[in-house]
Amino acid sequence: MDERLFINLIPGNTFLDKLQGKTKVRIFLICIVALIATWDMRVILPFAVLSVVGLVSLKPNWKKMWGVFAFVIAMNLFNLFLLYIITPDYGLNVCGASTVLFKFTDFYVVTAETLWYFLVRFTKLMGSFIVSLTFIQCITPSEMAAGLNSIGVPYKICTIFSLAFRYIPDITKDFNNIKISMQARGMELDPKKTSLWERLKQNVIILVPLIITSFDRVGNIANAMDLRGYGKGKTRTYYSEHEETSNDKKMKYFYTFLLIVTIAVIVLRIVMPGEFEVWTPWI
Amino acid sequence: MTAVIEFKDFSFRYQSQQEPTLHDINLTIHQGEKVLILGPSGSGKSTLGCCINGLIPFSYNGEIKGSCKVVGIETKNANIFTISQHVGTVQQDTDAQFVGLSVGEDIAFSLENNATPRDIMLEKVDAAAKTVDMSDFLMNVPFNLSGGQKQKVALGGILHDEEEILLFDEPLAALDPAMGMTAVDLIDKIHKNQNKTIIIIEHRLEDVLYRKVDRIILMNEGRIAMDTTPDELLRSNLLKESGIREPLYISALKNAGVVFGADEHLDSVDELDIEKYRPFVEKHFEKVNTNHMIEKGEELIRVKDVDFYYGSRQVLKNVSFTIHKGERISIIGKNGAGKTTIARLLCGIVRPKNGEVYIKGQNYLHLSIREIGRLIGYVMQNPNQMLVKDMIRDEIALALTLNEYDQAFIDERVELTLRMTGLYEMRNWPVSVLSYGQRKRVTIASILALQPDVIILDEPTAGQDYHHYTEIMKFIEDINKNYDVTILFITHDMHLAIEYTDRSIVFADGECIADDLVYKVLSNDDVISRANLKHTSLVHIANRLGIDPEEYIHHFIETERGVL
Amino acid sequence: MKFNTKTIVGIAIGAALFGVLMVYGGIRVTTNTSLTSAMVVTVVVGALFGPIPAALAAGVGNCIADLIGGWGFWFDWSIGNLVLGLFVGLLPVYGAKINEGVFTVKHAVIYSVLCILGNIIGFGLVTPVLTTVFYSSELTITWIQAWSAIVSNATVLIVVGVPVLFALAKRNARGTNLTKE
Repeated sequence: MDERLFINLIPGNTFLDKLQGKTKVRIFLICIVALIATWDMRVILPFAVLSVVGLVSLKPNWKKMWGVFAFVIAMNLFNLFLLYIITPDYGLNVCGASTVLFKFTDFYVVTAETLWYFLVRFTKLMGSFIVSLTFIQCITPSEMAAGLNSIGVPYKICTIFSLAFRYIPDITKDFNNIKISMQARGMELDPKKTSLWERLKQNVIILVPLIITSFDRVGNIANAMDLRGYGKGKTRTYYSEHEETSNDKKMKYFYTFLLIVTIAVIVLRIVMPGEFEVWTPWI
Repeated sequence: MTAVIEFKDFSFRYQSQQEPTLHDINLTIHQGEKVLILGPSGSGKSTLGCCINGLIPFSYNGEIKGSCKVVGIETKNANIFTISQHVGTVQQDTDAQFVGLSVGEDIAFSLENNATPRDIMLEKVDAAAKTVDMSDFLMNVPFNLSGGQKQKVALGGILHDEEEILLFDEPLAALDPAMGMTAVDLIDKIHKNQNKTIIIIEHRLEDVLYRKVDRIILMNEGRIAMDTTPDELLRSNLLKESGIREPLYISALKNAGVVFGADEHLDSVDELDIEKYRPFVEKHFEKVNTNHMIEKGEELIRVKDVDFYYGSRQVLKNVSFTIHKGERISIIGKNGAGKTTIARLLCGIVRPKNGEVYIKGQNYLHLSIREIGRLIGYVMQNPNQMLVKDMIRDEIALALTLNEYDQAFIDERVELTLRMTGLYEMRNWPVSVLSYGQRKRVTIASILALQPDVIILDEPTAGQDYHHYTEIMKFIEDINKNYDVTILFITHDMHLAIEYTDRSIVFADGECIADDLVYKVLSNDDVISRANLKHTSLVHIANRLGIDPEEYIHHFIETERGVL
Repeated sequence: MKFNTKTIVGIAIGAALFGVLMVYGGIRVTTNTSLTSAMVVTVVVGALFGPIPAALAAGVGNCIADLIGGWGFWFDWSIGNLVLGLFVGLLPVYGAKINEGVFTVKHAVIYSVLCILGNIIGFGLVTPVLTTVFYSSELTITWIQAWSAIVSNATVLIVVGVPVLFALAKRNARGTNLTKE
């Protein structure tokens, strides 16, 4: 079970791991906003490189990572492929030029601008994927709650995140137990032997006890929290959020710089919109 | 002594109910007392606890009459946060109350909510963790902890400072016998060292009495039936009448014809004036003929040299045993010893890595889970995880429908099962109105519908008081007797093993460490300590009187079953 | 909006269930969409705690699924789910009280209409607009994904959701006529 979770519950030992939740949440939000907000490779590439550096610095378990990487790359390539099938000369729309490199047919041409656009798009999407992955790998749910709280999210909303992670393993256990008891009573779970319709019907059978046992907990958990003063004050502190270290202070300058860049990029895009969305080096 | 809790003519009715749950409660508890609130399920003991810690009226709406003061504060006018500064509560459900993602975080939870600065928080967490002996586990996640450890964490979380009253709501429900002893001991230490007022709500009297309590308040049907010392309560016959299990040593002595006098100390088996009772016991005790080995029916299951791994962790090591028709077997062992894996193995949900399992002489590798399910039924601990349909008869028909029998057959079989299990009159009732015991009965019936040869029951009586426990067990006993169904209990309840099974298979760390008649297993010191069990008080009496414990337990069992 | 502790815990459990079902219990249809019963959980949160908790459970649940699945954040879809959660969580507003056993055919019809409406607004409008703004400018692909999401979500919400709601309501109904026969 633990092996399948991509988030760690106990902090690790690398540089990023040891930062405050507050710092990690801010860096992540700035990076993801920057990557989402622009189509300019001059901005996207540095942020993408930054996230790759971050991920590598965590010394993650690559074996575990391989599956999602393959899935995400395949998904992105497939989307690009679809895009090409529908509009081969897409580069013309977004870069404003069409430099034909070679032709399959008159319709299916390959242009330098389309390839450039595909490259930008791929870098942008992979960048946002890797930055999320880095974030998940270096933060614990409790630090995330503390970090979100530090940027002004009400603590009751932050609790939803950490509490949900707390009970996911318990719910997974219930889910498996229910499946087991249904199997022992004769339910055929092998997808090869059951039709889609059958599987939907099985969903109903499994969901009812799963929902009932999961929500049965609510009263007890809420009582335990009330009895220990949850919701008493307007603010709360976090055990998992350690004091600011010298590294956190250094990173503060760093993310302030990133923030200024990101804001500048967004402001520029709004006040001086270019004729075409994608910056192309040769145009 | 100052009174810290005062109930005066107090009554409480839950909004959703017609009748009050608590009637005319008059009760005073003083600073530094250690009090046990005893009572069967539905006696109102937990409701009384909720009145003390402020959940009533904060979380449960209802009608309050009379007065309840906690450290001088009238609870109906106070906020739960004020009360919880004085009363710390450890709840029954060790999983639900563990809300942090690590041990340290959970112990810190109330400090976090008080917005305590982190440096002070760390100090207090360390101190509390030390008191409950969890210092080495601060960075552990809840999923790798045992029930006993989770409970220690819950206790640590309420030891930070002001709370002068500690309330324990059924602290033993989720623990195996050895963990229960540790918990009772820990509570006692905190009582002695920190001069707190301790209130324990429980129905497992003998286990709580492992350490002295000052006073017992016996609740029954929403009223205080008795408010007295442990000695006096044990002397009376009120326990059985209220549906509370008497300590085994008291029952054994009463069986031998002992009548207790007014000045005798009874609350600890080791402090009994045993010589006084020697003549009674010696007269009553006779060696039971042990060569009546239970007649065994045909062989149903043979497990041979089985190894099993979860990932790289070996959970079953070279396990072998055989099960015959009509047997009643308890599978005992501490959490993580491999008991649940055995159940899943027998049902074919997991298959052996090495070794074989034979069902009726046939290697079960060729059988699908569904085919095995018709021979071996598996009843899970929590009936809510099994109940799917809203009508009893539909629930019982479900397994037959899933097995694709034709409708005429299903109707006939459902009716037969309903009659076998005494549910026929209720066949059109919705499952929602049933009590826990009745739900358990429906889940067992839903498995019986397939007419398996063997039924595996996982902790069938967990969390049940003596009355409901007896009800469920009698029902299972009848199924075994009348229909010759083999019953396998997975349990850590030693009373259950003694009273309702003939043979015990004991597991420790994935190995089968004993497989013998139940009274032999439970008098074996080595098995007891390796399986996290504890000696029954019968063994203490036998040792003190110089009788062979094995024979004494056997004699006790036969007496209780009315054989002698 | 002031939530009590019970509501917070209810949303958290709902989000956790949503995450578990999305990651472990789904049948994948296209990229970004799968036939999962996760959304039905949102309906239950709505039934017990109201539409805004339902929306939060769906939004947070989707973030959590993205986190434990490891395939990266997709804000556009989380927000689409949040909008849908708001619609399907409206049950108490039109009088269906699952925890008191009240769920009639009339409620089922209103519920189904709201499911379709919520899907069209959530995945047919909100998500495509966000996707266009954030990630891409090609509408055709977004539309393919959006429509497959609408169809699969609406199918599950109605085909699985309605029976589950009836079952849960019956489980919570007070027995009125309990005589031994």
